[in-house]
Amino acid sequence: MFRHTALRYAALGLLASAAVFQAFTADYFGLEILTEILILAMLVLALDMVAGFGGMVSLGHGALMGVGAYGYALLSTMGGLAPPVAMVGAVLVSGAAAWVIGAICARSHGIYFIMATLAFGQMAYSYVFEAPIFGGDDGLGGIVRPDLGAVGMDLNDSRTFVLFCLAALALVYAAAVVILQSGLGRSMTGVMHNEQRMRALGLTVWRVKADVFGLSGMIAGLSGVLAAQHILYISPGLLSWTVSGEALVVVILGGLGTLVGPLVGAAAFVVLKHEISALTTYWHLVVGVILIAVVMSRANGIFGWIEARSAQWGARRSADPLHISQTEEARSDA
Amino acid sequence: MAIDLGFWTLQALNALQLSMLLFLLSIGLTVIFGLMHFVNLAHGALYALGAYFAAWLAAYGGFWLAFLLAPVAVAGVGVLLYSGLIKRMRKSGPMAQVLVTFGLIFALLDLTRIFWGDLPQVLDAPAMLDGRLAFFGIEYPTYRVFIIVLGLVVLAALAFVLGRTQIGAMIRAGVDNDAMAACLGINVEKLFFVVFCVGCALAGLAGAVAAPLLSVTPEMGLQILIPTLIVIVIGGLGSLKGAIAGSLIYGVVQTFGAVLAPQLASVLIYALLAAVLVIKPTGLFPAKG
Repeated sequence: MFRHTALRYAALGLLASAAVFQAFTADYFGLEILTEILILAMLVLALDMVAGFGGMVSLGHGALMGVGAYGYALLSTMGGLAPPVAMVGAVLVSGAAAWVIGAICARSHGIYFIMATLAFGQMAYSYVFEAPIFGGDDGLGGIVRPDLGAVGMDLNDSRTFVLFCLAALALVYAAAVVILQSGLGRSMTGVMHNEQRMRALGLTVWRVKADVFGLSGMIAGLSGVLAAQHILYISPGLLSWTVSGEALVVVILGGLGTLVGPLVGAAAFVVLKHEISALTTYWHLVVGVILIAVVMSRANGIFGWIEARSAQWGARRSADPLHISQTEEARSDA
Repeated sequence: MAIDLGFWTLQALNALQLSMLLFLLSIGLTVIFGLMHFVNLAHGALYALGAYFAAWLAAYGGFWLAFLLAPVAVAGVGVLLYSGLIKRMRKSGPMAQVLVTFGLIFALLDLTRIFWGDLPQVLDAPAMLDGRLAFFGIEYPTYRVFIIVLGLVVLAALAFVLGRTQIGAMIRAGVDNDAMAACLGINVEKLFFVVFCVGCALAGLAGAVAAPLLSVTPEMGLQILIPTLIVIVIGGLGSLKGAIAGSLIYGVVQTFGAVLAPQLASVLIYALLAAVLVIKPTGLFPAKG
């Protein structure tokens, strides 16, 4: 189950203050990068919810993000709905899609689950790519941002839009924590550890998986809505499986199952991407090597490594002589 | 009616040709998985590497040299990958393996760009395979017939080796139950190494023969990866029969789907995959009972 430790609170505080500081001081380019980080952070939060706490490693979250983006674009332009209503609609649509996918894939485990979500993601991708209503490979333009003039905010200003995304991310983070600490979230973690036992306890396993997957899909959909509002243009590339793969890479770089880690990972990933792209065009090579190194090191990403280190340090500091002799004994046994 | 028949023969040949190409790729991947439960997402990247090696070698010694040496070169890369990375990842879970090989895709993608640049490479089919063959009242490019024949030859060779020789029996035993096979004195590690290299060589071969049909780009590995994964998941991970059945199903659905229902063609195969996963989560021909 997810718990907030002092370290996690500290990391959250640091990240939040850095983001707020950037939002008020950065220039246009900095604001663009920050928006990109916030949107990616929301997507990887959704992925960590199911992958880190439910063992459901999904390669379909990029597509769910795309469903949100296309849902918002279609509902607000062709559907003629007001942007806030279209936002809610898009989030509900992607949540429903995710629930169905989760329900169907609930029987699969491990590599089969990955493949099944990949299949659904690719299905959405190729459908959007071909269907004329979605603009095919030309994509869709003419997307508008919601009008918050009523509360004196102009979202077409990039600084205000960054704050809007930041507020959305904060809300989503809080929601994710509530979900994971609720009975539903705990049941899902139970299912991850021992599905048979949870079933014996009378739990309807597929419902739990589908419900959390649906909630996670809503978050992924919201990140897609924000991405559409950010770039004001969407293309099928959003749904490509490599987007899901990159999201998974970010979760791993940050620290699977820590919820805070993926946020760190998102920030590190986007900043690294821009820094390295400025130096060389072979940015994928660098990411590939870093990814391999992180996985081979067996640390749970950046944040997982920090947590393990601080736990070691804490244990050493609080260790009494008896404790030390015990660990020495254990070491000599090994 | 005769024209109709010719049309369907043509489509059937197209389907068969696609199936054979996918078979060359999926057989290696599926046996690697079946033997060691190792998911090698970089298999597509090896295929692209095969195409690049072939295009590069063909510039020096023509198509046939490339055809023979490209698989060997890719097998060499496989040896490096095995001793550098994969050996150490054997005991990790599927998640870590998926991620490491995903990282490999990224790295190999950019390495091919560094060595060969961004421009597509071209490899021409040899003169003797360049024409068209006329049979059953239709004309069909000789090179595509060559791919079909090559696929069938590899299929027959593999069926013979796996079904009739001792090493084949060892591989089947390993796929069936690797722990038990090890107990019976089979060196499963060594077996895996050999199978891994042969799988890489077949991926390289597929890349080399696909090169004259497509333009050789760094992304070709990514494009073929998803169809290959679909093939082995439909057929059943680790199953030899599954790789054959899966390739044929994919080839037929993709080719005839594009003819009969162009609107649905691209979605059809994924829908089929989803249906298989729901009804038989372990594929049509699971490796283990």
